[in-house]
Amino acid sequence: MLVKEAMRRQVVQLPVDAPITAGINHLLKFKVNAVLITDSGQRPAGVVSKTDLIGAFYAQLPIDTPLGDIMIRPPLTCYPDDPIESALDRMRHRGVHRLYVTGAEAATMIGTLSYTDVVALLYRYCRACPKSTSRRNAATEPGDEGWRLRVQEVMTSSVMSFPEGAALAQVMEGLMAYRFGAVLICSGRGAARGVISKTDLIRAYHHGIRLEAAADSIMTAPVVAWDQGAFLWEAIQHMFLKDVQRLFVHAGDPLQIIGVLSLSDAARVRSGSCRACMPSRFMTME
Amino acid sequence: MHARDIMDTRFHTLRPGQSIAEAVKMFHTASTEEQKKIFGLMVTDEQNRLVGMLSMYDILLFVRPKHAGLWGEMEDLPLEGAFDELLERVKAIRVSDIMTTDVVTIGPITHVMVIADLMIKRHIRRLPVVEGREIVGIVYISDLFNHLLKKFF
Repeated sequence: MLVKEAMRRQVVQLPVDAPITAGINHLLKFKVNAVLITDSGQRPAGVVSKTDLIGAFYAQLPIDTPLGDIMIRPPLTCYPDDPIESALDRMRHRGVHRLYVTGAEAATMIGTLSYTDVVALLYRYCRACPKSTSRRNAATEPGDEGWRLRVQEVMTSSVMSFPEGAALAQVMEGLMAYRFGAVLICSGRGAARGVISKTDLIRAYHHGIRLEAAADSIMTAPVVAWDQGAFLWEAIQHMFLKDVQRLFVHAGDPLQIIGVLSLSDAARVRSGSCRACMPSRFMTME
Repeated sequence: MHARDIMDTRFHTLRPGQSIAEAVKMFHTASTEEQKKIFGLMVTDEQNRLVGMLSMYDILLFVRPKHAGLWGEMEDLPLEGAFDELLERVKAIRVSDIMTTDVVTIGPITHVMVIADLMIKRHIRRLPVVEGREIVGIVYISDLFNHLLKKFF
């Protein structure tokens, strides 16, 4: 499988002198995790991700600070004809969540590739596979449930949580130190009450909310939690349908969270939602 | 013939801090009061300066799941209630979060041919008319169309 099969042909970009507020507006509006920053000659100069914006919020930079001041350079790229395997390796080694795709001209970005795009492609393959239980005729071919991955096999079992009254600054410190995409907000008894994602934080920055504000004032509630025994393909389908990047996982009591499943976790597993093609899909690409 | 001759001087505006629910209500109010279908509204600050535009398209872009393309090709997905949670998420969003900020504007003496050219080249259906820092009107593609092609009516 090649990058061009999974990439999105949309590049959200802004010039270096555009303010942080415009960057947040573009991330929220186009539902992307990063904006490409271009120089005065419209050449790619850097990238500003949600993480970079949270750093700016934490440092209390004014919302009209130019994006050029906080961008990370240079943008990392791949080609449309690269195998997805090598693009994923590059993302993992460089610790980034997306690559820009360049065509014949190095200065022109023709698309982006993120973990989510890779999972979307794998999900398509899984749906088309004769072993898929999600197909309507699946009921007539039982017996190979053991092939299918379950949420608990792929999830990350560490979840960070904060009390409802924790200050946003504290939540941000936790997110940045442990590189989580989201944290749980729990009541005194440890019951999950809400979630604060990077998106919630940059929205708070955009709305002028202060670092001392309480976590529960900006959290998204209630928490969407899935049983650990659910099939991975069902969870992935749910994430695409509901447009969320992660699901929390419970072991029977939806208020007691034991793990989190993100689309990047799903991309890491690589073979899609079942063991049937683990050896055949990506491994042979190298 | 210039912008001032065909522009509409009755218009409704939004504030950046309003909720999307309030914006949706304003689309409805504006359509009723201006007696035409309004698909986009100007966003102004406290000094009535133009700071953005919010169109129905911007709102739809937000409520459409990002991977909606997937279920064009898959007919048996459980789509019941798929929009409910997305609409719930809109509650946390304000006009300023999803409005278009790089708005193309014209002046009162911009010629209609220039307006037609701008609308075609930049795929714009409405152009705020600004004089100094003040909004004096708005030209809708329908106003332009009705003016340019009135001899066929």
